[in-house]
Amino acid sequence: MTTTAEDEIRLVAVHRLVESGVEIAFPLAPGDRPLVEVGESVTAGAPIAEQLRNGALQDQPVPAGPDTRPGGRVQAGELLFEWRGRWRTVGGDVWESIESPVAGTVREATPGSGIVITTAGQAIRGIVALGGPTRGRLHVAAGADGELRAGGLDVGLAGTILVVGSRIDAETLTRARAMGIRGIVVAGLASKARRDYLASEARQRAALHRLPPFAVLVLDGAMRRPLASPLLDVLAALEGREVAIVGDPPALLFDAWDLELPAPARDLVRIRGGDLIGREGRWLGLVGQRRFPGGIHLEAASVRLRDGSVVAVSLGDVERFV
Amino acid sequence: MTTDPRAFLAIDHGTATTSVALIGLVAGAWRLIGSLALPAGAEIDSAVHLLRRRVTAVDRDLAHGIGLATEIDSMPRLEVRSRRPRRLAIVAGSERTLSTLLGVAARSGWRATGASVETTDPLAMTGMLLDRDVDAILTGASDPPAPEERGAIRELAALVAAAAARRPEIPVVLAGGMAEGLAEFGLSTERPGEIVLAPAARQPGRHRAAAADADPSAPSDPLADLLLELALPDDDPRRAMGAAVQALADALDRRVELIGLGHDASVRASASPAAGGVEGTPRLAVVPGASVAPEEPDDAVIDAVSGWSTLPSDRHRLRDRMRELRIAPSADAPGEGTALRMAAARAALHRLIAAAPDPPGTPSPDLVVTAGGVWSAIPAPAVALALVDILRRPGASQFALDHARLLGPLGAIPDPHERLAVMGDLADDLLAPLGSVVMPAGLHAGRSAGNLLIHADGATSELDLVPGGLELVDLPPGATAVAEFRFRDTVRLGARGRHFAIDVAGGLGGLLVDLRDVPLRLPDRADRRRDLLSAWQRALWAGGDA
Repeated sequence: MTTTAEDEIRLVAVHRLVESGVEIAFPLAPGDRPLVEVGESVTAGAPIAEQLRNGALQDQPVPAGPDTRPGGRVQAGELLFEWRGRWRTVGGDVWESIESPVAGTVREATPGSGIVITTAGQAIRGIVALGGPTRGRLHVAAGADGELRAGGLDVGLAGTILVVGSRIDAETLTRARAMGIRGIVVAGLASKARRDYLASEARQRAALHRLPPFAVLVLDGAMRRPLASPLLDVLAALEGREVAIVGDPPALLFDAWDLELPAPARDLVRIRGGDLIGREGRWLGLVGQRRFPGGIHLEAASVRLRDGSVVAVSLGDVERFV
Repeated sequence: MTTDPRAFLAIDHGTATTSVALIGLVAGAWRLIGSLALPAGAEIDSAVHLLRRRVTAVDRDLAHGIGLATEIDSMPRLEVRSRRPRRLAIVAGSERTLSTLLGVAARSGWRATGASVETTDPLAMTGMLLDRDVDAILTGASDPPAPEERGAIRELAALVAAAAARRPEIPVVLAGGMAEGLAEFGLSTERPGEIVLAPAARQPGRHRAAAADADPSAPSDPLADLLLELALPDDDPRRAMGAAVQALADALDRRVELIGLGHDASVRASASPAAGGVEGTPRLAVVPGASVAPEEPDDAVIDAVSGWSTLPSDRHRLRDRMRELRIAPSADAPGEGTALRMAAARAALHRLIAAAPDPPGTPSPDLVVTAGGVWSAIPAPAVALALVDILRRPGASQFALDHARLLGPLGAIPDPHERLAVMGDLADDLLAPLGSVVMPAGLHAGRSAGNLLIHADGATSELDLVPGGLELVDLPPGATAVAEFRFRDTVRLGARGRHFAIDVAGGLGGLLVDLRDVPLRLPDRADRRRDLLSAWQRALWAGGDA
């Protein structure tokens, strides 16, 4: 790249491949019981809270004591607030354990509100995660532009988190969960598939079924597009390793400090909208304002695609990886 | 900022686009030298250097005169930054108060959720207040408490105080009659989050409030002002819009309305110029619910966007596209992306006007200024059309676009006198004239409602006025004319009458005479509606059907 092109590529939106020190949150409702304290170290798989599935409001006298405060616990459950000499409490008897999917340090543990853990490993962020948290061995099941169908799943994949390429439908998601697959990583998930899958999960939850841990991490958006090659390279390098999916923030977490993760070329850009969505190429530089379909004038850039062709795209349509 | 430097940079870090403008001192006045709009995430220093190269290439002497070659890196920067709106949990003693508080919060920069003791049990209410996503709590009752609230507000105060004790970092606002519950919070100075006493929300529809709304010098709702201050920091461009629009009104000596459509929230502000030594008070509403690309586009949003779309699309596909617009707002702008933005902008504007309606008796502004990154992907002549599709207000106004996104940074200048001075210098540069819009109401259907004579440059041209349509008169930026309307029947055009002579100014869209219904009526059938919208757009938008 020329000096000008090197400077100009800094005008392109950044897609950060791998982050570290990410803080992940687990929401707690009144009645849920945190099992960890601030500053405590947790390991992957360690229980961090118990979730109350059938919390009910009660009103009772509570003798004064060191724990007699909002958020304190007594035998009947968690104290909410005092009113006219009695306490409103929440209690129940159906519990579900919440486990930390990764190792880290507890930064916050507020009863009724949530637990925040600073992770020890690294993270690839997505745009949304449905379900979770979950953990399993990573397996790349399809290429960048691949699509996994329900028929392509088998029981040998139980316990894995699958990278499935460009998109997946709701039927395959439901079947994957039923077969013991722990999670799916996909570039795009259409709104209809998302709605159908969430409806299926809500039905199961309404029946107070304990759902097997399962999550879907969407990396890019709602439209079909190939997985970005730098991301796929990182995911391929993680093949067979234990990884986790969490929902807040939506991310794939892993511990690979021992691994030198592949880094993308500095001039690699990816097109993130329009007819060329998902195509990648080399940054050539800005070309100034151009008129685009729709009669609009936008700042444009020149990109050499992998097939050798050179295209002018709107600057807003490209992203680079760091 | 002082007036010593020869140039400064005005930078608006939006959530979707970043705008960098170079302002230079030329012949003793601040002038807009150049600007760039880039996708959010672009490195600012690289953008500044690109701007410097372009300005230098066009006018080397000017670049030298304002110190671009040597001072660009040390040049003062006036920066504003939009952030994701924060979450306010509202609890109230009655559904009626809750509804009022939700309305106030929704136009005060907050993403609000709420519950009242009439419909929600204390467990669910506590869960709502303790949600990690909540950044502040507002609890309110009428002042004095209404009969249905009186029995509940003490217990409600105890509940909120208990939640506040578990989340000591978040501020709590006690509005109206809830102030009676202050004692439940103990010594409020001991917690990091403030406990703030506020007046009750102004009940909509009450005669006194309506009268106050109609008075341009009346102070705005104190609770709304307080919530705005809590919601948005000083350097938020949306908060700065109130001061900016007041400075613009004072500088131009005209009634000004600002419509800013944003990725996370939209803004409606209006101001009248100071008169008789009395400073004007701007009205400002920041409405996260009217964002162009809502985080979770529900069916109502999708249906509204679909209703304004000129492209056929099923709900699922449209929802996918709206999600993509949310995730990567700068991507996929050309082609169908432009049509999507036009539809999403109109739907957002509709939500904005619904959340922050005109107070009764408000006269039409002389100038409507619009701002927002979404307009950078829509041809300027079509922008005025998008606005008047929603702002159905009989009268005549000029429309302009804040094309370099300067109003946010200028509104953030802390000293009002300096703000006014800079705004006075830059008013002509920052406003790209879109044109004038004349919108009569009360036209009877028929072949002709009358005629229009345009007197410009000593010549007169005549147009027939056909009800239900749009008439476009080519009047370029900088040109002025007198538009003489002769209607067959009495119409409303500011006042009621049949004969009007209006001074109009040109713009990128010329003079638009809008003879469509007020309010606008669109066909129920989707294909007919799309055809009609396309036909209206075609005249103003070359290539809009692409």
